[in-house]
Amino acid sequence: MSKAASRVANGGAKGHAQDGGASPLSSNLRRLSLANPPPKPSAFADPSSDICPVCKSSRYLNPNMVFLVNPECYHKMCESCVERIFSHGPAPCPIAGCKRTLRRPKFRRQTFEDLKVEREVDIRRRVAKAFNKVEQDFETLRDFNDYLEVVEETTWNLILKIDVETTERRLRQFEEAQKAELNAVNPAAARRVNEPDPTVLSSTSHVVLKKGATQRKVASAVNTPDPFIEDTKTDNGFIFRGLKKPKPPPPKKVFDPFEGYGITPDYYVTQESYDVDWLTWFKDDKAHSAGGFGMKDFYDHMLCESFAGLGVFVGEEIEARENGASGDSAIGTQTAAMAAAGGAKDVDMDDVF
Amino acid sequence: MPLTEDDLYRTSTQYKYWSFTSAQLATQRETTNLQATERVKANVARQRAARARSQVESANTSDAGSGVETGGNTPLHLGAEKEVNCLTVAEEKKLVDTFCERALELGSFLKFPIDVTATGIQFLRRFYLLNSPMTYEPQTISRTAMFLAGKLNNHNVGIEKYVAKFPKVTAEQVLAPEYLLVQGLRFHFQVRHPFHGLKGGHLEMMEMARGNAAPAPHCTETREELQKAMLALPKHARGNPQPWTVEQMEKRITQAYGFADKRILKGPAQLTDAYFLYTPSQIWLAAHLLADEPLTLFYLSTKAPPTSPLHEKLLATLRACAALLSAHHTYKPDTLSAAEKEARDKLEKEQVSALIRKLKHCRDPDKMDLVKLNAAQKRDAVRADGELEESVAKRRKVQREGFEKQADDFWGPELKKEANGTK
Repeated sequence: MSKAASRVANGGAKGHAQDGGASPLSSNLRRLSLANPPPKPSAFADPSSDICPVCKSSRYLNPNMVFLVNPECYHKMCESCVERIFSHGPAPCPIAGCKRTLRRPKFRRQTFEDLKVEREVDIRRRVAKAFNKVEQDFETLRDFNDYLEVVEETTWNLILKIDVETTERRLRQFEEAQKAELNAVNPAAARRVNEPDPTVLSSTSHVVLKKGATQRKVASAVNTPDPFIEDTKTDNGFIFRGLKKPKPPPPKKVFDPFEGYGITPDYYVTQESYDVDWLTWFKDDKAHSAGGFGMKDFYDHMLCESFAGLGVFVGEEIEARENGASGDSAIGTQTAAMAAAGGAKDVDMDDVF
Repeated sequence: MPLTEDDLYRTSTQYKYWSFTSAQLATQRETTNLQATERVKANVARQRAARARSQVESANTSDAGSGVETGGNTPLHLGAEKEVNCLTVAEEKKLVDTFCERALELGSFLKFPIDVTATGIQFLRRFYLLNSPMTYEPQTISRTAMFLAGKLNNHNVGIEKYVAKFPKVTAEQVLAPEYLLVQGLRFHFQVRHPFHGLKGGHLEMMEMARGNAAPAPHCTETREELQKAMLALPKHARGNPQPWTVEQMEKRITQAYGFADKRILKGPAQLTDAYFLYTPSQIWLAAHLLADEPLTLFYLSTKAPPTSPLHEKLLATLRACAALLSAHHTYKPDTLSAAEKEARDKLEKEQVSALIRKLKHCRDPDKMDLVKLNAAQKRDAVRADGELEESVAKRRKVQREGFEKQADDFWGPELKKEANGTK
């Protein structure tokens, strides 16, 4: 047991020592080479991953053991420890030297084997959510590239823990400024965006650990116009050159299934009711109206048929059409039939197709 | 994009494919006749040659048996080399018109509604525009056309029931030319009739007489002005304006409707080329013009003001259509005396029977038996004795057994029936 504990203490150095004492560079190169692939990272390869640093129970005794990490400090511990320590609310991290307050819902299984990668991915995800501009949002490519550089710098500041306080503050300010802008342009879209996304860790949520005075203070600050808040709002955290003003999306058109097509009668206006002897029977017939048959539709139909083609003069129009189509007469069944008929052969009906 | 009623009509197949100028109609009929004639002559000549050959052979083998096998269905009795006397274009048209009239009677005999009958008649007319009665016999085709029209117009009569109404007609005889007919119609099943239009116009005129009708979009007069103008119409064309009460006017409108419907739309409109040459709304207005000229002219002026160029053009078209309709012999049969009528009918009958006799001698021998032709086109081509060809039957049997075996391999064989009949 003591041997295992010492391995936990200096895991990294031990790993290099096991490679036969070679320099770190050569061992890295060996790992990269295709000739002898690196040993598969099995659960039993590294004993440190098998023993919970809190309760020291090992996978050997409990094969179903699951390790969890909290994105606050990325310290690994087993599920039962998490259950035991954090089930009654926020508590400090039990690993020696780490005083961060952790909460149970934030614990999760790690996605990447390397916790550094895990952390970097988390940070990148969060930064990318705040800096969501694309090239079209900028006037020139140069401006976009400058923006990308600022984004990358911010990301690396957070990853390498350089100037974390300032960077975090600026990032938060920028996020809020973005939200406010979106809200002014398109309230519906802003509402959608502002809804908390449970999958992405929020930057502000961890600040307010204890429900109480702090939260109330924040809430009141949002509600009442505070000169101090106003001041910080004018400072957007980041200022980018050549950023275009966001354009409000065009208002949504009312859905039109006919895409503008419609029948506008030229010769008649349908009335609500017509009174003729031969219609009274249908009007009074319950069987018709119960089936959803509307008399108005009937009137519309009749009147439309009354004048459909009134201004169509067949003689003229057909002649005009024939003359127009004489150049390329292979249009339409009729012309095709005529063409076939014009040839030496008869229109053989039995095998016309 | 707003569509007017005219645009709607222009989308119909009746306008796109079945509207012609009178010159086009005439050329088309000539072409059809010419082709059918050539075909009949060629086919008859071929058949005669074949028969002559077989006669020579049979004469060689057995000296007896001269002319025994000339009982074929082509005319060969008199002078073997006599040229076939084919129908002319006019005769063909006369024949088609006659069979259209008969189809009208057929419709009333079958108790079909008029729009079904009318559809059947228009099917006939369209079919015989591209085919000759010499190729396909009109009586058979008209029975099929009627049957098809019933099916397509929500008035389906089962084939068994339909056939039972005719003596000596089998279901195969009605069904055999059906696909042929449908091909001839180029699969355009909708025929636009003027009946609905007449009803719509009637409705509106009635409301106009009562002063309730909403004026047309381009009409400048109010409904009261329209009513006032309507109640002061002259009784006849070129008559003086005279006052009418609303009831009298309603009666007049109803009469005009009845006349236009029964005497024209259900008669001459079906039996002439009106459907090819004019649109349905023009046909019903022309019929109404014949029924009551002042009323129709007034009604037309509320739709297209007399000052507009459309009015004049429209009126010319309507008058031409009315002339076509009124020239038909079924228009106003009452004006003739009984004796005249009888004499005319007799003459007509003689002419028609002569034509039918002539037709019998110039039928296309290839298209004589439509039932057999139809059967030959199907997959299980049956032979004359109704049996499948032996090799085909054998192949089918082998295939079927193969399928059954596959099914048995998968599902297991059929359950054996109990030999002693226990349930």
